[in-house]
Amino acid sequence: MDDVPVEDAPPDVLTQLDPRQKAVLRVRSLLFGILPLVALGIGAAILERETGFPARWPIGAGLLAYALTVFVLPGRRYRRWGYRQEGRGIRIASGLIVRRETVVPYDRVQHIDISRGPIERFFGVATLTLHTAGSYNSTVDLPGLAHADAERMRDEIRSFIRHDLP
Amino acid sequence: MNDEPERWSRLHPATFAIRALEQLPQLVVGLPAAAYFIADTGLWIALLLALLGIAIAVALAYLRWLRFTYHVGDEQLIIESGVINRNRRTIPFDRIQDISLERKLLARIFGVSVARIETGSAGGDEGELNCISRAEADRLRDRIRVYRAGGATADTENADDIGITEPSEPILYAMSVGRLVIAGLFNFSLVFLAVLGGVWQYAGNYVPAAYFDPRHWFELYGEQAMGLMSALPILGIVVTLIAIGAITGLARTFAREFGFRLTRTETGLRRQRGLFTRTDVVIPLKRVQAVVISTTLVKRFFGWCGMAVQSLGTDGGAGTNHVVAPLARAGDLAPILAELESRPPPADAAFRRVSLKMIYRSWLEDGLVLAAIVIGVSLLWGAWPWLLLLAPFFAVTPVLRYRSHGYCIDGGLLFVRRGFWRRRITILPLDRVQSASLVRGLSQRSFGLATLAIGTAGASLGTPLRILDLEKGTARQLLRQRICPIEAGEQAA
Repeated sequence: MDDVPVEDAPPDVLTQLDPRQKAVLRVRSLLFGILPLVALGIGAAILERETGFPARWPIGAGLLAYALTVFVLPGRRYRRWGYRQEGRGIRIASGLIVRRETVVPYDRVQHIDISRGPIERFFGVATLTLHTAGSYNSTVDLPGLAHADAERMRDEIRSFIRHDLP
Repeated sequence: MNDEPERWSRLHPATFAIRALEQLPQLVVGLPAAAYFIADTGLWIALLLALLGIAIAVALAYLRWLRFTYHVGDEQLIIESGVINRNRRTIPFDRIQDISLERKLLARIFGVSVARIETGSAGGDEGELNCISRAEADRLRDRIRVYRAGGATADTENADDIGITEPSEPILYAMSVGRLVIAGLFNFSLVFLAVLGGVWQYAGNYVPAAYFDPRHWFELYGEQAMGLMSALPILGIVVTLIAIGAITGLARTFAREFGFRLTRTETGLRRQRGLFTRTDVVIPLKRVQAVVISTTLVKRFFGWCGMAVQSLGTDGGAGTNHVVAPLARAGDLAPILAELESRPPPADAAFRRVSLKMIYRSWLEDGLVLAAIVIGVSLLWGAWPWLLLLAPFFAVTPVLRYRSHGYCIDGGLLFVRRGFWRRRITILPLDRVQSASLVRGLSQRSFGLATLAIGTAGASLGTPLRILDLEKGTARQLLRQRICPIEAGEQAA
């Protein structure tokens, strides 16, 4: 009765997110990285004054990491995202290091939100959030949808929502 | 529908006394502040102020009592409360699943109970009557039952002398004193010592420091102590510890589970238990999401286990676990499971194991952790080779974990078994699956494994139901075909 390898199910053709989401991720990394970088700079300066350890090493490493999060990671993270609408539910894949594939049946969705932060608004994308009654996966996010697509999907899914739990 | 009731009821007058007595501890906390105040202003003014404070508190409590009224109508319960802003809440009987009662020691002395109105939906429109008399609670309960049974509004005035369990409620499970004793012994615990230690530490601030200096005692009683250090006193200490552990376990178990009885009502399971605080809880069947049967290695050896149900929380929040059988034989569970439209778990052989690679992965991960610790410690501490004694533990644990873990899908029910020391079998009807995820961490990906995590309504937030380390293909198949089939046309098994 052991679990032996079986033929993997055929890979899904997942719909990619809107390409503008890549820019959203990039701008976010660009902004969120500044504060740690400044903190690192101050720390390195203090270190150099107190111990004489040259500040260019930690600052160089920090800049390298910053460049990585701004130029390399957003593209990779973007490529890992994908979704697929089936007849009665949606499948959402994400994650660069820890990969997840989440399945939410439409009739289990309690309510749906569409949210757009300032960066998302600027690039014209939106995040669709599905709320389920489960305590695990109680909210499932699908970011990076063109705003019109998000609204269309919300209306589609809304027709499945039941108002009472079984 | 919206008939204005003529007769409003008030809470039991004892409510007043109970609230006052419950607030006494707060008063005690206030005493040091009062003492400080007295020293500053003089005793009489302080006493006067204290009396004034008490008078105001009493007056407010009285006002609150006066302004809390409710009316048990033919089809609905109306509660009005609030001293200045009146708040009126109407709960139609249609929405009331049942009424849970809780009676703490103080409430039992006065013969009253807190009644909580359990509504079926996930809305937060629940009511609480704190406190009403037993007879009144029974009257309310009967009124609702009669309404649900036929909609007729029978006169239930003489329902006052109905016992705590009507013969119409079949008993599903009850705990005899003998079983309580066994459960108490399984709950062997030395938590009492920890409490004692805490008190000791606290008291230590007020005891001269010399008391805690071993040399002080050694000088005083050194010779006698050497004479006493025979085997006998050590044996005595061990026996005392065991006795304390057993008594603590028994006391806690008796206080919580005394008079445990589980009955079936029209809408759900009704549980009554408790020696001092007596609770009477109704778990609507509609809200039960999953069943958990748990046992420990020792209990399993003697053939015992316990069972709890996970029920949906109110307002969509995390649900609660209700113990429905603290200590039971496997055979005792079948009637309860039948009421839950569930079945006892199949034989161990029917469970499918997860991938054997689970063991290798644990070895790899634990081995790396152990190596890191050993290297770190070896820089600071010469005796680091002793740490390698941990290695056998790290080697065996994954094997035990693997052998205990398994799952089984049978007739619309998913059974997941986990844990070697504490074995838990979760029984989840597949139509209660809210969502599911396939999660693959870094090491799982290199082994081709995946963990299947299942979102259920009512499980605690920390521990979703998970089947660990399945082969990636199996996990995907399980997810798509059995746990969460969403392709058009396919029906859930």
